[in-house]
Amino acid sequence: MSNDDIVRMTNEVFEESFEIPAEELRADRHVFEDLGLDSLDTVDLVVALQKKFGVRIRSDERVRGIRTLGDIYEFIKAIREEQAGTGGEGA
Amino acid sequence: MRRVVITGVGSVTPLGADVPSLMRGLREGRSAVRRMEGWEAYAGLRSLVAAPAELKDERRIPRKVRRSMGRMSIFAAQAAEQAVSDAGLDAEVLSGGRTACVVGSTMGSAGSICETFEIMLPERDLSNLPSTQFFQCVSHTCAMNVAQYLGITGAVMATSAACASGLQAVGAGYHLVRQGVQDVALCGGAEELHPTVTGSFDVLFATSAGHNDAPATTPRPFDNARDGLVCGEGGGIVVLEAYERARARGAHVYAEVVGYHTCGSGVHVSQSNSPAMVRCMRAALDEAELAPDAVDYISAHATATLQGDVEEAAAIRELFGDGPAVSSLKGHIGHTLGASGGIELIASLDMMAEGAVCPTLNLDEVDPDCAGIDHVTETREQTVHVVLKNSFAFGGINAALVCRAL
Repeated sequence: MSNDDIVRMTNEVFEESFEIPAEELRADRHVFEDLGLDSLDTVDLVVALQKKFGVRIRSDERVRGIRTLGDIYEFIKAIREEQAGTGGEGA
Repeated sequence: MRRVVITGVGSVTPLGADVPSLMRGLREGRSAVRRMEGWEAYAGLRSLVAAPAELKDERRIPRKVRRSMGRMSIFAAQAAEQAVSDAGLDAEVLSGGRTACVVGSTMGSAGSICETFEIMLPERDLSNLPSTQFFQCVSHTCAMNVAQYLGITGAVMATSAACASGLQAVGAGYHLVRQGVQDVALCGGAEELHPTVTGSFDVLFATSAGHNDAPATTPRPFDNARDGLVCGEGGGIVVLEAYERARARGAHVYAEVVGYHTCGSGVHVSQSNSPAMVRCMRAALDEAELAPDAVDYISAHATATLQGDVEEAAAIRELFGDGPAVSSLKGHIGHTLGASGGIELIASLDMMAEGAVCPTLNLDEVDPDCAGIDHVTETREQTVHVVLKNSFAFGGINAALVCRAL
């Protein structure tokens, strides 16, 4: 999976789950302040990303540090590499 | 005690997404019952028919409000929005603390409850549960979602009494306004179709299972060949308002609510009970200070179950004889369960305004055990000054509401 794929698939989550138009989805956009997500959406974001990428991130402390869309791209990239290495992918 | 009037109505039903489409369908004698695609997949489900409502324009509800709504809450919200608009209430009235929201349903959203268990149970894993799933599953899902959507800050309550939920909600709102606790109340019920909902009646052999290939011929309330109920879905909401308040602002008044009663039978959890029904209707009339012969039309609960229709007919016969016109709307729209009280009350108000009573669809030959009351089998033009609406539910629960034209 390329970095472009991660960006595209993450953006799909925001379009499908949060009904945010594609043109608003840029790496520098703040997930809460710019894109309007709230605490309930954070739970749904985690669930949607788990499904989309076949990873388990619900208990990962790094989720709390996510601020921008770019943070999510980087986090997904890292977690995929880690879980591929430990056989955790596909959970 | 204050006088209470109805100043707004709204509905989503199997006959359409507003009150005019409901009434058009009823007046044209249309059946909304269909064979349900995919229901054959449920082993043991005998009844494969239902009366679905169309879910449409739901994206007009903002996502952050809509995300906690299952199908029934969307029906309730759309019906409530219509009722508010019809009554001419502005946002200030809704948010001023003197407006209540009382909306009932049998339970939370059946589709959402099933989805929750399908996500959670196979692997005993909660990690993929969406945050708002719970809000769609709770018993007060319709009441809280309508209140959130419309910004209502008065009493928010849910009546949960299966098929009497909607009428109990109207009764509860009537009490709140009558006693001066609130000035306005949005009241009614909503329900959604799901094979598990029909299944809950099907396992008790209470559904219609002999018309899967001819859906429009069932249900058949009071008919000799009836074989059970058919589930429907939708939402029906009315706006109740203190009479003086409505008059002061020049609001259109559909009718005055003059009597209400709800009671248990204390006899059997699933079987209807005629003496309890009589007691319920009589108490509602007593509160209205009306004699039985003052009632022009009874909107019957009659769902086309073998036992329920006989008990209701016997109760009406005992209290009213063959005086008032009687019809059930289940033949057109199925049994919309928790929504039925609201939807059928709204239809009754239209019959009152138009001076024309809708008949019981599919009532071709009255069951001798249901005879002795004035069944309406074709549209009847007559004065309707006083309406009695019945709702009866599992658990031996009865509810009756009396409205009078002003």
